[in-house]
Amino acid sequence: MASGKKQIQLLARQFFKLSLEEGVLSAARVGGVLEYIARHRPANTVAVLKAYQRLIAAEFARGQAVVEHAGAVNEALLATIAAAMTRKYRRPISAVAQPNPSLLAGLRVRVGDDTYESSVAGQLAQLAAAV
Amino acid sequence: MSTVLDQIEQQIAKLSSKAVKKNTGNIRTVADGVAKVDGLSDVMYNEMVQFPGGAIGIALNLEEDEVGCIVLGDVSMLKEGDEVQTTGKLLSVPVGRALLGRALDALGNPVDGKGPLAATETYPVEKIAPGIIVRKSVSQPLFTGIMAIDSMIPIGRGQRELIIGDRGTGKTAICIDTIINQAKINKVGLASGDPKFRPVYSIYVAIGQKNSNIVRTMSALEAAGALEFTIIVAAPAADNPANQYIAPFSGAAMGEWFMENGMDALIVYDDLSKHAVAYRQISLILKRPSGREAYPGDVFYLHSRLLERAARLDGKGSLTALPIIETQAGDVAAYIPTNVISITDGQIFLETDLFNQGIRPAVSVGLSVSRVGSAAQIKATKQVGGKLKGELAQFRELAAFAQFGSDLDAKTKAQLERGARIVELFKQPAFSPVPIELQVAILFAMQKNFFDAIDAKQVVAAAAAIKDFFTTRKDALLTEIRTKAALDKDLEAKLQAACDEWKATFTA
Repeated sequence: MASGKKQIQLLARQFFKLSLEEGVLSAARVGGVLEYIARHRPANTVAVLKAYQRLIAAEFARGQAVVEHAGAVNEALLATIAAAMTRKYRRPISAVAQPNPSLLAGLRVRVGDDTYESSVAGQLAQLAAAV
Repeated sequence: MSTVLDQIEQQIAKLSSKAVKKNTGNIRTVADGVAKVDGLSDVMYNEMVQFPGGAIGIALNLEEDEVGCIVLGDVSMLKEGDEVQTTGKLLSVPVGRALLGRALDALGNPVDGKGPLAATETYPVEKIAPGIIVRKSVSQPLFTGIMAIDSMIPIGRGQRELIIGDRGTGKTAICIDTIINQAKINKVGLASGDPKFRPVYSIYVAIGQKNSNIVRTMSALEAAGALEFTIIVAAPAADNPANQYIAPFSGAAMGEWFMENGMDALIVYDDLSKHAVAYRQISLILKRPSGREAYPGDVFYLHSRLLERAARLDGKGSLTALPIIETQAGDVAAYIPTNVISITDGQIFLETDLFNQGIRPAVSVGLSVSRVGSAAQIKATKQVGGKLKGELAQFRELAAFAQFGSDLDAKTKAQLERGARIVELFKQPAFSPVPIELQVAILFAMQKNFFDAIDAKQVVAAAAAIKDFFTTRKDALLTEIRTKAALDKDLEAKLQAACDEWKATFTA
């Protein structure tokens, strides 16, 4: 029974642990967990699935560098960023490009909760806050 | 305009092309000044976080998959999914002399319409209280200007004295009197040019009060010329509970600046009952386990860590705290009152019955105590008022017996007569503190039985007359009492002569 919020969270975390293979998220294991949930339908299935999804999304974000850019970026730059982040975080990190014209120029890279701001929009915001 | 351009140029120079790392999260829920945030994996306990739209928050609950933050400022602009950033800083407020005469909110932003603050320094709102080694025992008096308190329940610089009582018993009035008295003493002391004189600066923290009450207090301070020595920190009832929770800590930070820079300060927390209620509200929304009266388990620590910051530092200044607690139907045994009673160095208990009988300030002599005792009194007050507390306590006991109407012996009658006169003598209107030298003169007259021949109902008029007499005609004598701070034989003779002179002129 997963009725309370804490119990839902606990169950979702258990499912999440089962989704890892040697500390890395495994698509096959996630599939297995989903199949198990569909078959056994724990109490508050929707809430458990939402909590599970949040954990998976957070883990997924930790392994991916989202490169927001205003101008053009090439594959070589993405590869350089991926390599740098892999080195920094000591875990495999891939890079994906995401156009964002509101940055005006420059880049913003997001890895999990960390954001690396090197855009003109970010610097202008910093300037506005300081003045 | 040129300064603005300079500022921009300096900022541009500071900006480098290097990437800036930020730790971020997203708002999951916002309710009653509390936001639950996803992410913020690097956030530290009590760290300041930045919400969009300029609102700031403090991370209070660090859980496995979410962070509970209190939001200081306008929460109406926040919505689910908004980005939140860590700042790597503790919440700080402006401090310094520039704050004197100003009214500020819980974050130190001016709210009095007198323009921006000229403060250059900031202090963290949460700070560990001074330890044992740096402290010094409380031995310097802090005069409230209220005769009943200065003579029987003296307060010293660096002490924590609780003001406790039901609503409408004059708790705030005592604190305002004390602030006004400090301002009066400061003016006299600074005008005298005495290099040893140490002014006392005041901080009045209003928590969960009506805005109209705060305005009234400010007006009273302004009218008495005390606002220039006072900082008002206002977190009114309309403010969100997070601001009400943080306001006393902000006030304490402002007071600490004076203390650590070799000055003396007085801080009034008006009141900690409402502060506890605000904290309870936050804690319940943060889903912290609740205990007695639904307060969280750390409500004692909340007040103890706040009040421990009041101290007298060796070689530096002092911070005196006057926390206020509002009781319900005189119940001092409730949770928050007993907590704060045990934390402070004494309490001044105000009784509704006394207040309704016209005894104002309605100080209950039996229940009030100052644990610092006579260490925080000048010798002159000890000489003239040392036995007063005992005499009044005896009077209360005898008065209870006398109600039965039995025949009383002459000694008991005399004690009752004297007690009734002391009670009358201690009656004092609000916002009119009496200087300590004048208190000594009046108590001297009482001790030497100058009021015995006066009808008890006329004692208030007689006290007003003797005050007038001394202030208008015996200024030199008052100055001598103030500077000597003790009554020698010569001074006693002068006082006796002055009292004789007054008695000859006074007609009830």
